[in-house]
Amino acid sequence: MTESPLALIAEVTHRCPLHCVYCSNPLQMVSSAAELTTEEWENVFQQSAKLGVLHLHLTGGEPLAREDLTRLVKSAHGCGLYTNLITSGIGLSEQRWEELVRAGLDHIQLSFQDSREAAANWIAGTRGHAKKLEVAAIIRHSRVAFTINMVVHRQNVDHLDEMIALAESLQPQRLEIAHTQYYGWAWENVDQLLPTREQVVESLKTIAAAQKRLEGKIRIDAVVPDYYARFPKACMGGWGRRQLLIDPKGTALPCHAAAVIPGLRFENIRDQTIGWIWRESDSFQKFRGESWMPEPCGSCERRTEDFGGCRCQAFMIAGDAAATDPVCSLAPMHSLVEQKLAEVNSRAAAVDDQMPVASPVEQSQFRMYRAQPK
Amino acid sequence: MSDLEDSSQPRLAAGCRWVGEGENRTLVYPEGALRLQETARAILDRCDGQHTFDQIVHELAVAYNASDPSKIRQDAVAFLERLRQKRLVDF
Ligand code: SF4
Ligand code: SF4
Repeated sequence: MTESPLALIAEVTHRCPLHCVYCSNPLQMVSSAAELTTEEWENVFQQSAKLGVLHLHLTGGEPLAREDLTRLVKSAHGCGLYTNLITSGIGLSEQRWEELVRAGLDHIQLSFQDSREAAANWIAGTRGHAKKLEVAAIIRHSRVAFTINMVVHRQNVDHLDEMIALAESLQPQRLEIAHTQYYGWAWENVDQLLPTREQVVESLKTIAAAQKRLEGKIRIDAVVPDYYARFPKACMGGWGRRQLLIDPKGTALPCHAAAVIPGLRFENIRDQTIGWIWRESDSFQKFRGESWMPEPCGSCERRTEDFGGCRCQAFMIAGDAAATDPVCSLAPMHSLVEQKLAEVNSRAAAVDDQMPVASPVEQSQFRMYRAQPK
Repeated sequence: MSDLEDSSQPRLAAGCRWVGEGENRTLVYPEGALRLQETARAILDRCDGQHTFDQIVHELAVAYNASDPSKIRQDAVAFLERLRQKRLVDF
């Protein structure tokens, strides 16, 4: 029997006042006119809670761009869902925050692009850094769990210690240090964002030291880039196994990047129930379990831990969604990743020589995410 | 950071709460959830910021008719310390 989903990721909008170069949103964004209505989302929450979902992650884009956000939180809370808001903080006034708390919000995850204002604003393509600091001060005095999310990549990881110090001063309970994951816009910009091996090793040392120093005060969780690991990450805890994502127009996906995989038809919650989509739809069954696995995954003892890695990564790097994730050192296509890493490591060394690490590289080197959905 | 003392008044950390009813009650927190055994639930139910740790141990010893309260105390200390490390309980 198929286990029930535990978490729902609700991408309530693709609209966002920020334009981060590492954004994992799809290149084709959903316009606001096509977004699900308040009632449709409420229905999604009810169905999900009945299926056994515990966590609801409200994300986007920027969820605060939806004027009905407070009502959505209230409905979700009413269904018994544990509600988490993943936000840039832009659009959060003190009054709106109080409304959200009263509506039953359980957790807020506030993202920072850097500790240095100019660099942060540059990465986000918006002057938002100062506003985020204000927002952090508003949040910290409530009984809502507070996580700060620091997104790291080649352009900022060298001053990770400064970023941790900033987070510490904002007094969250939890700090997530997330190495960029290469999907969507981040994948477009991977050559500028992927850190060097040396940077990754250093960052892990910095993180370990901070974890020790802040133990019992701030819990630090780190997401490392699996390009440098021996084995891939267990993407989404396995395809169609723990989590489902619903995009702004109601398409149900096993993960946020799954739409890049050709030949899969993803169902819409306007046409089907979530229970049916989860249990029966082709797209959710396609890479569920082990029957789809190629060798070496099929006979590898790690298959119950990483589920063969990420399907989208396999498609993006190797052109085959059913291949062993090329990030895995045992994958037949692993040389593609090694090649990419070799490129990045040699070029980064050359570029960094002329570039002060604090200032972001020339805009022209990025294929920017500066577009907005209409 | 202070140690757990008899006079400590542990409570669930912000953003950590129960979801579900009875046997199925699950402790849910920012990035995860815990299904707990009955005794663990009994300890956490008393972590309301009012009960002192000493009171919690006494109540448990009575509720479970324990012949050896010091064992309960030991287990409760270990359990609450572990949850504090995960930032699920404050004291
Ligand atoms: S990564 Fe940046 S641009 Fe993308 S949704 Fe988040 S805040 Fe907006
Ligand atoms: S071979 Fe497959 S199952 Fe084994 S570690 Fe690599 S990706 Fe995971």
